Order: sequence, then structure tokens, then C-alpha cells
Amino acid sequence: MDTTPVSPTRSRIRAAWAVPTAAVVAVAGAFAAPPLLASAGSATLAELTPEQLLTRVLESEPQALSGTVVHTARLGLPDLSMTQVAGADPVSLLSGSTTLRVWSDGGQRSRVSLLGTASEYSVVADGTQAWTYSSSDDEVVHYALSPDDAARAEKMRATARPPADLPTPDELGREALERAQRDATVSVDAATTVAGRDAYQVVVTPRSSTTLVGRIVVAVDARTWSPLRVQVWGSDDAATPALELGFTDVTFAAPDDAVLTFSAPPGASVREIVLPLPDDAALAGLAPSDLPTSLPDDPADAPLPEGTRVTGTGWDTVVELSDVDVAALVAGDPGAVAGLPQVDKQLGSAGAQELYEEFAPEGDGPGVDLDTVALYEQLTTPVEGGRALSSALLSVLVLDDGRVLVGAVPVDALRAAAGE
Amino acid sequence: MSLVDTAATGAAPADAPVRYRGATARLVRSELALVLGRRRNIVLLVGLALVPLLLGVVLYLAQDAGLAGQGPPFVARVTGNGLFLVVASLFLCTPFLLPLTIGIASGDAIAGEASTGTLRYLLVVPVGRGRLLAVKALGALAFAAASVLGIAVVGLVTGAALFGIDDLTLLSGTTVPLADGVLRVAGVVAYVGLSMTGLVAVGLFFSTLTEVPVGAMAATVVVAVVSSVLDQLPQVAVIHPALLTHHWFDFAEMLRVVPSADVLAQGLAVQAGWVVVFGTLAWARFTTGDVSS
Repeated sequence: MDTTPVSPTRSRIRAAWAVPTAAVVAVAGAFAAPPLLASAGSATLAELTPEQLLTRVLESEPQALSGTVVHTARLGLPDLSMTQVAGADPVSLLSGSTTLRVWSDGGQRSRVSLLGTASEYSVVADGTQAWTYSSSDDEVVHYALSPDDAARAEKMRATARPPADLPTPDELGREALERAQRDATVSVDAATTVAGRDAYQVVVTPRSSTTLVGRIVVAVDARTWSPLRVQVWGSDDAATPALELGFTDVTFAAPDDAVLTFSAPPGASVREIVLPLPDDAALAGLAPSDLPTSLPDDPADAPLPEGTRVTGTGWDTVVELSDVDVAALVAGDPGAVAGLPQVDKQLGSAGAQELYEEFAPEGDGPGVDLDTVALYEQLTTPVEGGRALSSALLSVLVLDDGRVLVGAVPVDALRAAAGE
Repeated sequence: MSLVDTAATGAAPADAPVRYRGATARLVRSELALVLGRRRNIVLLVGLALVPLLLGVVLYLAQDAGLAGQGPPFVARVTGNGLFLVVASLFLCTPFLLPLTIGIASGDAIAGEASTGTLRYLLVVPVGRGRLLAVKALGALAFAAASVLGIAVVGLVTGAALFGIDDLTLLSGTTVPLADGVLRVAGVVAYVGLSMTGLVAVGLFFSTLTEVPVGAMAATVVVAVVSSVLDQLPQVAVIHPALLTHHWFDFAEMLRVVPSADVLAQGLAVQAGWVVVFGTLAWARFTTGDVSS
């Protein structure tokens, strides 16, 4: 019995193999098309001067939003992404790409979740209290004011009145622009699309040639005027930004209430950390409003905490801290952290600033359990008289005599500043 | 299978068989019986089902020994809530054991018949080659589903027996009621199951290429392993989103406070892409290739 099938003809074979070929093309097209379409839709937005743009941003109300943010750091630091092994952890923000989900009601309440492979690190803020929750070790850290302080804070918020001499956003914008233009050129770049939304791009290019920062580009949504993306470019890599924080998808609508509330899950270990509120006298000196009455003066003129020295100007500014017990700090000794002068970290955009503040260690000591000694050894390289960390945007020089120098300049510039 | 009945039509070309009512249905039934009844496949299924059982027992014994709270995510949670044993077992099996098992079944689908010389008899069944391939794919998919479901069911039973089941605490720290939790874990199981469809298509394609089943099985498993290795290399980050294994762990999305439909849809779309490409490749190869044994 002959069961061998008749061999198909050559044309039939060709026709059959055309099907997978077409399938490959169709599938490749389906994957390539969305990004191409997204980048093709560059909008025809009305031309704005940097000044007008800044004014619009300052005038805009904080927006309720929910979205996905991708943070990418190409700082040239050793790869510390351990999310696969150890779960989501803020340390992973130092290198590689990290996905975050953010929700905010535009006011007091927000949630930021750092996504790991099958893990999550969440920060939930609600007015005067905040929680962090790490899924990998099932631990809740609750930051709150003491009941007395919380009551005081509530009262202050209720009675707060904006001062009469509050500058208009227009004035504030002009002032900010003038200040920025002292050390940098500010321009508006071609419109772009971020997370499917039309956006203006503000480019700040430092005039200094020594700084590690090449330029900072902030994409601002053309309708809500919220920052959608911040890119910081190093001076030696023009192809890819060293630091990038941007929405990949965003909706401006109030998020679900369940997202913004938090209560410790049963069985989780809870660490309570009470944050001190400065006394009334100190608070009275602050403007009781979200808008500052004027921008802070040149950092060199600002009153500095003891043990802090600032040299250089503008982008070449080097901050020097003396008498820092680095060994104790690295070992996580809370006392050493408490003794550290409070240096405010100022980032380019409100969004980045908020994010930084949410993740910045608060209270007494870093909230992250890590082998910090090993991390310190890994991050820094020995140099003459101490250790140095050099990254694409920032250098840190730790000297054996207890001085620590930080600046957006090469390590050599820090050493020169230290030798003065 | 009624090979004897159909052998009479043997002279007819395989791609234009005489139609018999219910031939496909009978073929499906016999294929399912073959795949799920084969002793080797049953041993594989039992082996997979042992994972949650072993994991559960080990955790149960270790929880008082001060070893609790260690290990990868999920595993530490199991002692508090048996529902997590399902997720933890799938988490442990997804990178290697599950692809290995599914690679064996799908790589064997055609090549196994070819190597034992039964493929030529199958081709005289009054069912076209395309439909025969679809039946073979169905068998391999049924086996994949059985593997995932086996882990899930044994995990659920073991977890409930050893640790009890309770309201589910999500990765985001939110606690949802038991019914919602069970639904979310069912979503995890469904997502893991659907994540394996691309691998089944790859295995089926390799299976049509060779008469050596071991070769097809090994090639299928190698694809999964190479894919996960490439997924770790930052230098090829641009192709990561399209890799077969890249979205496998996105099942964790089901355990976040607001599961992102976009992320889940993306993972399933990638699997669909692999199914379409390798499914049509297998079809083109199987309907045009010479079958000599």
C-alpha cells in the first residue's frame, strides 16, 4: 500500500512559505508601528518664549494624575540592579532602568510604587504621614508626626494666609529665568511627544565647560503644564541622557481612593518613626504657602550649616563637608547620620524633586537594609588621600581627614578644590 | 484511532483526503488521550505537581526552625497564607521546569510520530495536514494547560491544608478579601498558562523539522533558555520586549493594587506574535515537507 503523499509542486511550496513570511512582517510591523506612530505625531504647538513657558508652568495647578514612569540612570556606576534577586528596592534607581507607578490626587495624597520582578516597594504619603512598604521583606515603615505636632500642623494649615506681597507667577518666572541665565542658556526646543502627549521642551545648557552636566531638558505637557520628562545629559555623551525620568503613560484624573490609602497588612512588621516638627518660632519664619516669596539667593550667600563650605559658582559649585565620620555613616550608625549637616538636594524639576524627596532617606537612618560597607567599597575607587566616586553627572571625594566634597565636576576639580 | 478504517483511503493524496464526518473530533479525542495518557507525560505532570507539595512541606517544617522569611519573594509569604503557595510554586517553576516539561511534550508532537514511523499512518486519516497539525497543537496546549493547572491545584490544596487560606495581601501592601484574592491568583495561573503558548508553537515548529524527537525537545528548551539569557544582557535591551520569556514574570501584575491591563496585554501580545510566526512556520513546513517515515 502506498501511503507516501504526492510531493507538493514547487509553486505550492512557495505559496505555503509565503504565509510565515507575511506573518513575520505583520508581527514585526505590529511591534514597530506604535513607537513610530508616537514619534511621528510631533505637534504643531504655538511658539512660546522660555519666559512665557515658565510662566505657564508656574501658573498651573498641581494635577491629579496616575501614570507609569520609567527612570533610567546611565551614570557609569557598577550595576546594582538586584530586583530579580532581592526584590524592588530604591537602590536600584542608581543604575539601569526602573519602572515606577505614580498616583497623586494633586494635593496631599500620593503613592509611588517601584516595580520589581514579582516585588514592589511602595511609598504612600497622606498629608502629615507616610508609609513605605517593601513586599520582599513584608515590612512597613510608618513616618508620622507626634499627635501634638500633627495637631499643630493642622492648625497652621487652617490658619495659613498667603502674604500680601506674593509675587505673580509671571514675576517669579522672569526671576527664575534671569537667575538661570546667569550661568546657563535657556531655550525652548522643538515640540515633542511624551507618553502620547504633546510637550514643549525647555533646554538649560550650562555655560561652564568644566561641569559634568551637558544640558538638562525638561518636557512640559502642552495642556496641563506638568513636567512629563526630565533628561540630564552628561557633557561627554551626546547620544544618550545620563539620567532620564519620564512618563511612559499618564492620565490626568483623580486616582481611586483605595490606591491612596494605606493600612499595614496583617502579619507585616511595622516600624514607627516619629518625625520632629520644628517649633513655632522656626516655622513662623517660613512663608505659610507653597509658593516661596522669592527664590533663594545664590547658594554661596545662603546661611550654611556648620561644617559646610561652598566653593566655585554656578554649575562648578563644590560643596565641602568637614568632620564627617564616613566609616560610621557607611556602617549605618544613626548618630553619624543625625550629625550630618542638612544639605538640601535640589533637582531640576518639581516632579523629580518630589520623587527624590519621597525616596530620600528620612528620619534616623536609611530605610533600606543593605550591606552598605560592601556597597561603598564597590561604588568608590581609592585615590590619593581617600576614596572617590565618579559618575557621569556627579563626583564625590571622601578624604581620609573627614572631609567630603561633592560636585557636578570631575574628581580632579574636587581634588583641586580640596587642596585650596 | 480507527486507522484500519481509514487505511482504505490510503491512495488518496494527503492534502485532499476524502472527508469523513467527525474525523477531526475523533482525531482530537485520540490525540488528547495519547498526550495525557502517555506514561512519560504523566510522570512529568506528577513531577511538576510535586513542586508545590515539596515546597509546602519544606516551608511547613522550616517555619519553626527560624528559617522562615528567607528566600525569593512570595516564598516567605506562604507560611502566612496558603494561597501564596500557588504563586510561589509557579514563580519557581516558570523559569525552567515548566518550559522543560512543555518543551518535551510539544517537541515530541510530530517528531515522535515520525521517529516511530506512525506519522505516515496519521497522514492517511481523512483530515488535511493543516488540521492534523492543529490537532497536534491542541494536544500540546492541553498538556501545557495541565502542567500549569496541576501546579496550581496541588499548590492550592497543599497550601490550604498546611497553612490555611486567608485574605490576600498584595505586593503593594493592600489587603483584598479572599474572593478577590482567589480571583487574582486564578488570573496569575491563567497568565502563566497563556505565557506558555509561544513556547508550544516553537516546539511544534521544531517538531516538524526533524524525525529525532529529542532534538526538537532540546531545541525548544534551548530557545527558552537563550531567551532568558538574552533578557539579562543590557547590550541587547532593544530586543528585550519581544523576547519569548521577557514578560513571563509579569503575572505579578495581578498582585499589584491596580493591575495594569496594558502590561498584561503587552505580554500576551508578544506570546501571540510568537504563536503566529512559529505556528505559520510549522504549518508551512508540515504541509509542504516530504514525509518518508
